[in-house]
Amino acid sequence: MSLIEWDEKFSVGVAAVDHEHRELIGLVNETYERLKRPSASVTVPDFLGEIHARIAAHFALEETLMRAKNYAQFAEHKADHERLLDEIRDIMDDYEDGDSEAFDERQFALRLGTWFTGHFATHDARLHRQLD
Amino acid sequence: MIESLQRAGRRGFAFVENAFDAAFGPRINPFYHLGALAFFFFWIVAASGIYLFIFFETSIAGAYGSVEYLTHTQWYLGGVTRSLHRYASDAMVVATLLHLAREFALDRYRGVRWYAWITGVMLLWFLYASGISGYWLVWDRLAQYIAVVTAEWFDWLPLFGESIARNFLDSATVSDRFFSLMFFIHIGVPLFLLLGMWIHIQRISRARTNPPRAILLGTLAALTLLSLAYPALSQGPADLDTVVSVVRPDWFYLMLYPLIDAWSPGAVWLVAGGGTLLLMLLPWLPPRREADAAVVSLANCNGCGRCFADCPYSAVILRPRTDGLPYASEAVVDPDLCTACGICAGACPTATPFRRATELVAGIDMPRLPVRELRDRTLEVTARLSGTDRVLAYVCHCGGDPAALEAAGIGVIMLPCVGALPPSFIDFAISRHHADGILLIGGAAGDCYQRLGIDWTEQRLAGRRDPWLRGRVPRERVAAIWAGPRDGAELARRIAAFRARLRELGPVLPGGTPSGSTAGGEVRDVSY
Repeated sequence: MSLIEWDEKFSVGVAAVDHEHRELIGLVNETYERLKRPSASVTVPDFLGEIHARIAAHFALEETLMRAKNYAQFAEHKADHERLLDEIRDIMDDYEDGDSEAFDERQFALRLGTWFTGHFATHDARLHRQLD
Repeated sequence: MIESLQRAGRRGFAFVENAFDAAFGPRINPFYHLGALAFFFFWIVAASGIYLFIFFETSIAGAYGSVEYLTHTQWYLGGVTRSLHRYASDAMVVATLLHLAREFALDRYRGVRWYAWITGVMLLWFLYASGISGYWLVWDRLAQYIAVVTAEWFDWLPLFGESIARNFLDSATVSDRFFSLMFFIHIGVPLFLLLGMWIHIQRISRARTNPPRAILLGTLAALTLLSLAYPALSQGPADLDTVVSVVRPDWFYLMLYPLIDAWSPGAVWLVAGGGTLLLMLLPWLPPRREADAAVVSLANCNGCGRCFADCPYSAVILRPRTDGLPYASEAVVDPDLCTACGICAGACPTATPFRRATELVAGIDMPRLPVRELRDRTLEVTARLSGTDRVLAYVCHCGGDPAALEAAGIGVIMLPCVGALPPSFIDFAISRHHADGILLIGGAAGDCYQRLGIDWTEQRLAGRRDPWLRGRVPRERVAAIWAGPRDGAELARRIAAFRARLRELGPVLPGGTPSGSTAGGEVRDVSY
């Protein structure tokens, strides 16, 4: 079973944003699946770096849309974006600097999943209403 | 021959600019704002001109008297305004010619920059026509001299059926209507000049048409002082019944006039016309091929528009998506405008060295130095460093001599512009222990060769422009030196000081740096 299932209620009504949310969910699910398997050929940092870059690009697009629409909660939303990127970067460093034993893949994937569903439910829903 | 001229020009400008840097600091060095200064002088001339217009009498009989009234009776306002009008237009010639010479010396007139060069050269004619028609209006002896000589000069051209010079044979033949015509020329030509100035800056984004406030106020104060100390005066009323012999021409505008008499009108047309033609052909003598333009990878581009926002040359535009993906837009590069500075790649969120699961291709990338190669170079250069003061310098091609920098014992990677560096590379090199500190070395602050590279870099490091340098990156391990290659000794001193600081800090601790708030990031040492 996938970690996160796309749900129509996640839709923010902006085709591009929905598309990237789906892609990110796909990437997170894929990470989760691979990390569950002990014989994973792809290493954790490989995926983390990729997720970090994709999320950063996704946020860049969202922020451009928000700026264009003078979204009222822009600063708040942007700070939330940067916080998640900081968090992923911390995890990447922890892992690479030898803390890999302590790294709990499941925990990380769950955290990412939780963050995403939270992100969709609060900020993006509000963004959607405002961008309409 | 052109190259040696440029070298000499660069040496000359460097000498003067160093003096100004020392006196004012690079950020308000007027030499880095010559184009903007020309705009500013235009506005002074326009504003003072409107005031003079109120009191000016457009007639042969009244013109001289009305200017005299302004100059002497109303010296405190009218006189000062007249002087400002005069001196600011002189200053505009100086700023414009220096601007032209400097762009030539820095080789910023060929390749994709031909457009600004050609339109700029054409503006010179409008500038001179504006100024010379103004001298005419005062209708003093200098005006008379200009009227007669200009008429002779134009009479040489087979344009007019009868001689214009005959208008100035005696007082009776100059009509008020001819005078009104000159007046409209003096208002019309500057309007075309302004239109031309607007056209001149069309191919760059965020053209700086206002100098920094300190330069603006300082220049205005200097011009006002000059106006009070040496007011612009008329040279006695025009009298067409006498031949003007001794005049004191304004050399900024009238440098060719004595030659019209001394040589012949035709020779001066040859010099002025031929000179203009030569200047206009200069971008192709010889032409320059820019490095290959930026390339968009649609698979990595979601149309976020950061490259579009950061391109200094309006070479990146956003157009409706063409690959069927549900994004609204995609970045497109116009190779005719791209100088291959790489600032777009520096802005791209997918240009991060941490990507490893897929091939590292940025949404917008430079064929000259793709992001993947930049990562390879980063790894390769840092592998040769050792100790606790390993410095990796990302250096703008205008920021220093790579051999000299390498001799100082630091790793050097040359970039087309310091703005081509995605900030994530700094995070990467430090957090992955490839280097103990990162130096960014570029040209003088306020004088980025690629216009906006230094500004954007500073703002990215300070968390004021996307993509931000993450707050987690220890700022004491990042320093920027905006010096240019001019001051080698100072550069070496700064590098040594930075390395000493790194030795004091000790190695970057493993286990990751504690997450700092990215938004609150603050950069030290960003200015030179």
